[in-house]
Formats: sequence, C-alpha cells, structure tokens
Amino acid sequence: MSITEEQWIAEAKNGDKDAFAKLVEKYQKPVYSVCYRMLGTPTAAEDAAQETFIRAYQALDRYDPTRSFATWLLSIASNYSIDQLRKMKVTILSMDNEKHAWLAPPANEPSPEKAALEKEKQAQIQSLLADLPEIDRAAVILQYWHNSSYEEIAETLNLSSSAVKSRLFRARRLMAEKWQQMQLVSVPQVNSTAKRIAHETSTI
Amino acid sequence: MKHQQFETWILLDTELNQEQQRNLQVHLNQCAQCNSLYRATQQIAHLFRTSPVPEPAPDFSYRWIARMDRVENRKNRLILGATLGGISLATILVLSSVGIQLRSTLVYFPQMMLEMVTLITKWIIFLNQLWDIFTPLFRVSIKLVSPVWLYSVGLSLSGITAAWMVAFFRSRTLQKELLP
Repeated sequence: MSITEEQWIAEAKNGDKDAFAKLVEKYQKPVYSVCYRMLGTPTAAEDAAQETFIRAYQALDRYDPTRSFATWLLSIASNYSIDQLRKMKVTILSMDNEKHAWLAPPANEPSPEKAALEKEKQAQIQSLLADLPEIDRAAVILQYWHNSSYEEIAETLNLSSSAVKSRLFRARRLMAEKWQQMQLVSVPQVNSTAKRIAHETSTI
Repeated sequence: MKHQQFETWILLDTELNQEQQRNLQVHLNQCAQCNSLYRATQQIAHLFRTSPVPEPAPDFSYRWIARMDRVENRKNRLILGATLGGISLATILVLSSVGIQLRSTLVYFPQMMLEMVTLITKWIIFLNQLWDIFTPLFRVSIKLVSPVWLYSVGLSLSGITAAWMVAFFRSRTLQKELLP
C-alpha cells in the first residue's frame, strides 16, 4: 500500500469524505467489475459498488492495515453481491433473453460489428456464471478477472484454501459442461462465437 | 495413472512439470472425454481473460459523495427522530407516573374545591357581619365623643407606637454590638 493511500485512509478515518472519495476513484473499477460480473446488470452493479464503498467508509475503523485494502474492498463487494443475489434470487442471463442485450459494459464506442461481438461475449460469460452458486461465482470472478491466488480468494470470501479449491473445481466442471452444451445448441450466434474462440485457443 | 488425476489437473488448472505435461498430453490424445473437458476449460479461460473489464459510468466518485450525503442525512434524521421519540416517551412516562401518584387527589378534587368555596363564603359572611356590627358603633362613637378626644387618642397611640419602634431598633443595635 502506498504512503498516499495510507494517508487517505487515515484522513478518511477522521471523517474526511473527500479523502475517501480518492480511494473510491482508485478502486472503482475492480469493485464495479466484481459487482457487474456477480449481478449481471449495470444498474445493479452501480448500486452494489456504491453500497460497497459506503459500507467500507462506515466500517473503516475495523479495517486492519496489515491486510490489502483492495482485498478488503473486494471482500465487501463480493459478500454484498452474494447477499443481493440470495435476496433477489436473480437469474442473471440466459442466452436467448434479448432484453439483456444492453448488458455489454460501456466500452470506448467500438465499431458496430465489434460491439455486437463483445455483446455476444458478455452474454456468454454471464450465461456461464449464472448457473454457478453465488460463492463459487465470486471465486471464479476473483480468479479470472482479478488474478487472485487461492489464498487471496480464501481471505476475501472468508473460506479455507481447500474450500476455495474445491469450489473452483466444481465451478469449472459446471462451466465446462455448460460450454459443451452451448456448442451443441443450434443457435448460429452462439456457435459462431464458440467456434471462433475454439479457433483462437487452438492457435495459442 | 488414473483418469481422475488428469481431470483434477485440468479442472484445478494445476501448474505441471514437464513429465506431468507429457503424461497429460498422452492422456488427452487417448481420452475423448478429458480432451473435450480440457478444450472447454481452455476456451472458457480465454473467453474470460479476453473480455473487456466492465467500467462504471463517469463521475462514479461524485455520485458516491452525493449518495453518502443522503445516507448521512437519513442517519441524522433517524437519530433526531429517535431522540425526540425518546424524549416524548420519557415525558409520557413521567406524566403517567405523576398522574398515578395524583390519582387519589384528583378523585377528591371536586369535593376539595367545594369545601374551599364553602369556607371562603363563610369567611365573607363572617366579615360582612363584623362590618355590620362595627360600622354603626363607629358612627355612634364619633358622634358621642368630641373630635379633640379622638385626635388626642390618635396622637397618643401614634406616639406610643413610635416610641416602641425606636426602643425596638435600639435594643437590636445594642444586641449586635454586645454579642461577638
């Protein structure tokens, strides 16, 4: 943790909201990303990310400076998103659900073709994640998008390392099965993306 | 090596040494199920890692400050409401307890008021009667006794009163001087 960040935390602990806003500025992307992948819609992700920072600000006195601030924030974001999922019983996405077509994250205005491709990718990702239990989903998100180690995921989700391994094992199996089914589905769009990814990975 | 072991390697994305990699490759060439699983996990990992990171809309931190202000205002209103509620409840409790204490008094209040009015009325009647007795007596005595006598008696009484007051104040002064 940088000295500046430590200073912001210290100032925020003394009630300086502007100092905490700097931390919000710094960590908004990873927190929003976790919430978005967990909840699946920009609106829910925005709400969850905002709530995460509010909870963090209110619980700042309980923050242990020996821990990574990012891990602590992601822990709050993951747990809040897990609670939201359990409360709302949200089924995030299904491949054939056109009303979620706006799900693609705000990118830097790509070309229509690229945008359509990204949208399709996002739909596939959310479809793969949607079938996972909440905690497994959080573990997958932390591993793939935040490059967290098993130990970091365990710390974030308050689990043991072996439990994390077991959950990731189960999650990958579920996702692989779903992926295989998706490839078999006679939806041209899905097949085209799957084939393209298959082609890309075979060339790697 | 057992099929289960290869599956574990694939699904846990385990880092393998060269020999293990060779064994896995051999197994993947022989086992269609593991091959399919391996390809699926690799494709999923590629899909995940190449997808853009979702970003919040601009001015996220400003929205956070605005939301935090709303949360704090709501909290302050709740604290104020709870304080006022507490005070109101305490007042109600105090008044109730005082009311219980005064209950017996309040039950007899009309009777007490009646008795007080009766007593005041009796006093008025008594004073009125005194007035009726002494007024004629005074009028008669004025007519019977000459004014010189009346003035003499009045002056004598005033002189006695003045002398008594002087003696009283002098005795008090002496008392203060003599006593330590």
